[in-house]
Amino acid sequence: MDVVAGRAFADERRPIRHVDWLLIVITLCLSVVGLFLLYSATNQTLRQDGLDPFARVSKQAFTIGLGIVVLLVMSSVDYRFFKVYAGFIYLGSLLSLVLVRIPGIGSTDSTGTAQRWFDLGGVQVTPSEFCKLALIVMLATVLSELRTPEPTLADLLKLLGLAAAPMVLVFLQPDIGTSIGIAAIVVGMLIVAGTRLKHLLVLSAAGVVMIGLVFQTGAIQDYQRARLTAFLDQQNATADVRYNLDQSLIAVGSGGLTGKGYLNGTQTNLDYVPEQHTDFIFTVAGEEFGFLGAIAVLALFALLLWRAIRVAWLAKEPFGTYVAVGVASMFAIQMFVNIGMVIGIMPITGIPLPFLSYGGTSILVSFAGVGLLESIHMRRFT
Amino acid sequence: MEKASSRLRVLALLVALMFIALSTRLWFLQVLATQRFDKEARDNSVRFEYTDPLRGQMYDAQGRKLVVNQESLEVRITPDQLGDKGEAVVGRVAELANVPIRDIVAKLQDKRFLPSQAIPVAEFVPKEVGFFIAEHPSQFPGVEVVKTAVRSYPFGRLAAHVLGWTGLIDATQYVDLQKQGYGPNDIVGKFGLESVYEPYLRGERGKQKLIVNADGETIQALGTIAPTPGDDLQLSLDARVQRLAEKALAEGMARAHAYHDQNGRTLQANAGTVVVLDANTGGVVAMASNPGFDPSWYVHGLTPQQNKYLSKNANAPSVSRATQLTYQPGSTFKPITGLAAIKEGFASLSGSYPCDATYTKSGDTSGTVFHNWTTANLGYMSIGRALIVSCDTVFDAFGGDFYDQYAQNSIGSHADLLERDLHDWGFESQTGIDLTSEANGFVPDPAWAAEPAQSCPTCAFPYGWVPGGDIQTMIGSGYVLVSPLQLAQAYGAIANGGHLCRPHLVDQIVAPDGSIAKRIDSHCDQTVPYTPQELTYIREALRGVVSSGTAQCAFAGFPTSQVAVAGKTGTAERPPHQDTSWFASMVGPDPDHPQYVIVTMVEQGGFGGQTAAPITRQVIDALYPNLNDASQPSCVTPDR
Repeated sequence: MDVVAGRAFADERRPIRHVDWLLIVITLCLSVVGLFLLYSATNQTLRQDGLDPFARVSKQAFTIGLGIVVLLVMSSVDYRFFKVYAGFIYLGSLLSLVLVRIPGIGSTDSTGTAQRWFDLGGVQVTPSEFCKLALIVMLATVLSELRTPEPTLADLLKLLGLAAAPMVLVFLQPDIGTSIGIAAIVVGMLIVAGTRLKHLLVLSAAGVVMIGLVFQTGAIQDYQRARLTAFLDQQNATADVRYNLDQSLIAVGSGGLTGKGYLNGTQTNLDYVPEQHTDFIFTVAGEEFGFLGAIAVLALFALLLWRAIRVAWLAKEPFGTYVAVGVASMFAIQMFVNIGMVIGIMPITGIPLPFLSYGGTSILVSFAGVGLLESIHMRRFT
Repeated sequence: MEKASSRLRVLALLVALMFIALSTRLWFLQVLATQRFDKEARDNSVRFEYTDPLRGQMYDAQGRKLVVNQESLEVRITPDQLGDKGEAVVGRVAELANVPIRDIVAKLQDKRFLPSQAIPVAEFVPKEVGFFIAEHPSQFPGVEVVKTAVRSYPFGRLAAHVLGWTGLIDATQYVDLQKQGYGPNDIVGKFGLESVYEPYLRGERGKQKLIVNADGETIQALGTIAPTPGDDLQLSLDARVQRLAEKALAEGMARAHAYHDQNGRTLQANAGTVVVLDANTGGVVAMASNPGFDPSWYVHGLTPQQNKYLSKNANAPSVSRATQLTYQPGSTFKPITGLAAIKEGFASLSGSYPCDATYTKSGDTSGTVFHNWTTANLGYMSIGRALIVSCDTVFDAFGGDFYDQYAQNSIGSHADLLERDLHDWGFESQTGIDLTSEANGFVPDPAWAAEPAQSCPTCAFPYGWVPGGDIQTMIGSGYVLVSPLQLAQAYGAIANGGHLCRPHLVDQIVAPDGSIAKRIDSHCDQTVPYTPQELTYIREALRGVVSSGTAQCAFAGFPTSQVAVAGKTGTAERPPHQDTSWFASMVGPDPDHPQYVIVTMVEQGGFGGQTAAPITRQVIDALYPNLNDASQPSCVTPDR
């Protein structure tokens, strides 16, 4: 190989030349769709309160701008750097989860039922969102260092132990949605790591038993139990919970095939769907753009997940694959649980829809996830 | 990496399953079940607000307003929403609205209404009361102040029995009317014209479509449909004549209180009626009933005293004597039964009949003796003369003839011809006037007499039909009962040449835009089976009653050359009560074509010529204001 050819070859492998542009485009598309849905969901209410109808949209756009910066930073950093500091990152995230529980440091929501975030100069930061990424990096580090082709029982227990710590802390906040997200990330990564079916089944059974115990011992609050069971037992659901689900179903169902038209949804405009700008943002798409619009949003997520799994496939070494799988699992479970909850096939748990739901931390973590994927993709030859 | 790739496929497959699940569910919700959700979305956000229409008004024949609407600020209480401090709330309302607490409590406890209905407890309250209640909602749970239109009566108590009244829809009415769009707090017609013409008077509610948000706040008002006022009623009634008829009746009853009956007691004259019909159309020109009431009492909701007066008073002031009660017609029946005797061949216009002091049916084993009103034997006389002097025994004999015919032909389809002949005149069935609760009246007959004979030993006819049944009916006594309106309808047929005109109060129904929604034509198709000569003969005889008969004292000095009066007195015995006083007449400038029929009846009013005829004379003066009738009744003629 001569020098010129060698330089050319090196040039070919420069990360900047292997950006997954489609992934970027999909991410931006989802974000812009989210802004439109958010405007529809919030402008009337803000107007009635005498506020700027664009107030929420502007704030979300700013967060998205911040998210793009995060994406650029994350993709320009070699993802393998995180493997080196995985332990610190992991411990740091656990510390944040502990700190948020301490009164005076962590903040409680208005109803006083949950303690989930830090108030940093008016910006709410939810550590449980970041801890998902930290856990992904930690698990990927452990999995990529396995000596055997598939994880042994000891490995499994070690991995589960690592996952259980943040999961329990998040569960205690209480934030059942994020706990489910963490569980799904673990399962996704274990599947790709080649965990034996037998072990996975035992793990699932243990999970079911755990859930049963949680219900029996009353470790979860009544309102959570009500929300969780509402979709299982719709006849006996409490009025409040039913109202939430009913209004959501009415919004989506009344959209029909083509929807009522942008800003024309009665359920949306007249504020019938509670939490519409956050967890129930998908109802806007369902009501105003109908089945076709809802499917279009699903298609964007399908493209996103296809690109994420493709990154896992193309990654240069196992650590990259596992990180990509973790991020893909995170997006997939959040999308499925959120939309499933909106359309009544999953229990109501407070879980945001990536890129679409209003909320700072969720947006930033989603963009950081894409940044990780991009970093892996760009460095698949180096 | 081969293995990793196959495991990635598993992950991809799981993700694909997620998308399939979500898409399938979306397809179900948004394509298959969308109609249901679409309806629910509409139900969610669309509310209708209703505005009550103004109720139709009533005018007399000259366009004078009889019933109008008046704006009122009304306090309503919904018992269900009062809460556990109900007593205190009612107390506060009573003090504010200046209404006795017990009146409010009585209204709230009225069993006719449901506790979920908003019951009006005070009307025409000052604005300040409304403001105060609105500003202190916590002190007044279940209390609302509503601006509403209520009935108002420019002529006060005039024609109250005819106009009727309105009130809050009661529980049983609501069950019936709910399907027609009535709400639980609607005001509906309860009696009289208000009730009969409810569908016209009501109008249509205005409707406004509102878009409301989840908090129930109105975001947008769409599609306002203004309320359509109800149709107005144009009555045949003449308020001036009505007023004077009511005055004449009241004065006549007051005069009667000074008279004594055969036993020396003063007359009770406790109730009475005057019915004035247009003889050719059946239109009611006046219909007075005494005692009366003020229809505006019902607007304010009856106070316990008013309720007691209306429902407990022995004279039943809310009952119309003209249409709701029936009486023995006495001698006023004779023109009609006399015609029946002619029709059946027992008498003729040229015949002469003995007017003895007593009559006993030949062959009657009981030997019952029927007395004339006088002990004198008046000799043989024509039918006309018998009417003029009101001879009972002439008619008693015809009754005997009817009985004989029955006895010979008792298995025929018409067992008693007298009953059939009376049915020809509309007796024993409602006239069909546009009023509520009209009485049927009663004509005794052999079938009725046979019925109690088996089951009721104390009944009147323990041995079945006897001659006395026909004999008493002939002279309007015994068991026969007619309403004053039925008698007026029958006299109308005598007056107009044989047409039985259905009496009616409303001439036309006028839509809010002034067009005629419905014209009430006269229904005079039914005729009585008598020739014009026979009817002319009767009218002539009845003019004789006024000029030289039992009503001559009452009409002494009356200018009959200007307005011919043909009438018949009646005095129906009703022991232990005092006699019912009647005068049934037809009047008009042309003796051959009387304009009006006037029937006057006073309960316990003594002789017909004594009380009822002078009242009628006053009514005629009212009908013909240019008539120079300065004289007064001069004497009293006894009769039966």
